[in-house]
Amino acid sequence: MILRLGTAAYPIIETIQLSLRSFKNYGATEEYVGLGNFTYLPDDFGFKGAIEFTLMFVIISTLLQLVFGILIAQLLNANFKGRFLARAVNLIPWAIPTIVAAYAFRWILDDQFGMITHWWDLIAGYRPVVFTDPDGARWAVILVNVWKNAPFMAVVFLAGLQGIPEDLYDAAKVDGANAVQRFFSITLPMIVPLVVTMSTFFIIWQVASLDLIYGLTNGGPGVATQVLALRVYEEGLRYFNYGLASAISIVLLGLVAIIGMIGIFLFRRFEVSS
Amino acid sequence: MTTTTTTTRTAVARRDRLVNWNKVALYAALFVFLFVVLSPFFWIVKSSVSGPDELFKVPPVYLPHVTMENYRALADQVPLYEYVRNSLVYSVSSALLSVSVSFMAAYAFARISVPGRNLLLWLFVLTMALPEIATIIPLYRLLAEMKMLDSLIGLVIVMSSVLVPFTVWVLVAFIQQVPYEIEEAAIIDGANLFQIFRRIMIPLTSPALATMLVINFINAWNNLLYPLAFSVSPKSKTLSVAITEVFQARSPWGRPWNMVSALGVAMVIPAIILVLFSQKAIVRGLTRGAIK
Repeated sequence: MILRLGTAAYPIIETIQLSLRSFKNYGATEEYVGLGNFTYLPDDFGFKGAIEFTLMFVIISTLLQLVFGILIAQLLNANFKGRFLARAVNLIPWAIPTIVAAYAFRWILDDQFGMITHWWDLIAGYRPVVFTDPDGARWAVILVNVWKNAPFMAVVFLAGLQGIPEDLYDAAKVDGANAVQRFFSITLPMIVPLVVTMSTFFIIWQVASLDLIYGLTNGGPGVATQVLALRVYEEGLRYFNYGLASAISIVLLGLVAIIGMIGIFLFRRFEVSS
Repeated sequence: MTTTTTTTRTAVARRDRLVNWNKVALYAALFVFLFVVLSPFFWIVKSSVSGPDELFKVPPVYLPHVTMENYRALADQVPLYEYVRNSLVYSVSSALLSVSVSFMAAYAFARISVPGRNLLLWLFVLTMALPEIATIIPLYRLLAEMKMLDSLIGLVIVMSSVLVPFTVWVLVAFIQQVPYEIEEAAIIDGANLFQIFRRIMIPLTSPALATMLVINFINAWNNLLYPLAFSVSPKSKTLSVAITEVFQARSPWGRPWNMVSALGVAMVIPAIILVLFSQKAIVRGLTRGAIK
């Protein structure tokens, strides 16, 4: 516990202190600049874009992950031969290193030799140039992220689905509700608390994630897929600009805190109402 | 009589047809799902056994002449032995340390009743939400001051501390399921805490402990950020750092996708083996934190 306190509380305090300083000569000398780093942020090349794409990335990713998570959970909840194996396969995207997934997809989406670009060519008649097109790169990042994380959502939703009593469905069938009606009137309300919890956690994790983007686009082309986490890494550990990096970290922490509070608020509401 | 049989028969036939259509849709969806999940693996496995001439071909060669040359060349290009060793030491130690620390903390949380215990547990679990990247610079400076940069010990300590909150969260739930009476009886018989752990708690919670060992191992094995930030030499770099180095290396034909793929395959294999063998346990552990 003390260990976690050391690696949780100490960094926050230290980050706040660092964010008020400016570092020169690769972090060798420092001086107190007050809020200078924060007032500089709006002028920082890529900071505004990073906030924008960070939000776009987490919101669209999480929505898609919820949708696909529920769909996959429904699929894996069905009764078929080899269900055990399908469930194990579902876990593989979660279990593999993100950086491996990032490079694998970078290669698959390669504009000359990639597999998906080749199929795209066969179907649509042209080769998409994914990583030099800002929109293409953004969608690639989001969709690969969904590929990596939707299965994890599915695992949790699957457990949630199995907790729903079977006779609720039987009663609805007797009343003549079709599959879609059964989904919206039974399944969805029963897993709403899970949806809220998972969304909160996923948004928080993804706001600060950088492995995937580091490997897939490294923020490019230009700064189209730049996110706050990557800015912290680059400023802090590549240019040793600890002050600015810490200031961005604080912005990130603020974002996480806000999302966390919204999540807890929603969770309470749904807990009480359901 | 005849009429009833006929109606029953049509009803059965109709139901059969219905079931079949559902089945078709189910298997179609299943096929799409498996295809989307697995085709990237096919592509990197294929690339990892292709020679350079078949790697860059339009249209792609889906069934190349299998060569193990890439794997062999990989060992010449990076200090593979050190990286594999570091990755294993890093992941195994992080899993062991985090689970043993969490076990004791979870036992305390589950058994000692002090006011504000739940609040403390909540605060503790909330640190799960703390982004790794936001702590990286202070930790970098801290490790530098403690002369623990570029050391596996430093990496293991930092990684374990990140794994602990979730592990505690899961283990508390499991420990609370063990009836306290068993321990009470042992205490009356004069058992000390160590004996209670060894004879009662560890055997009874061993499935949960094993599950968390597997999950934490996978998390540490996959971790990129800490080794990337804190390691400078092959002394402490892990495979996830190695793949970024291989990716940046240039070959005469462009990106060395065959090498990247070969290392990727090597890094994925342990994860796939673990998942296939302990799917149920992993799912139980992962859902334990989210549900309830």
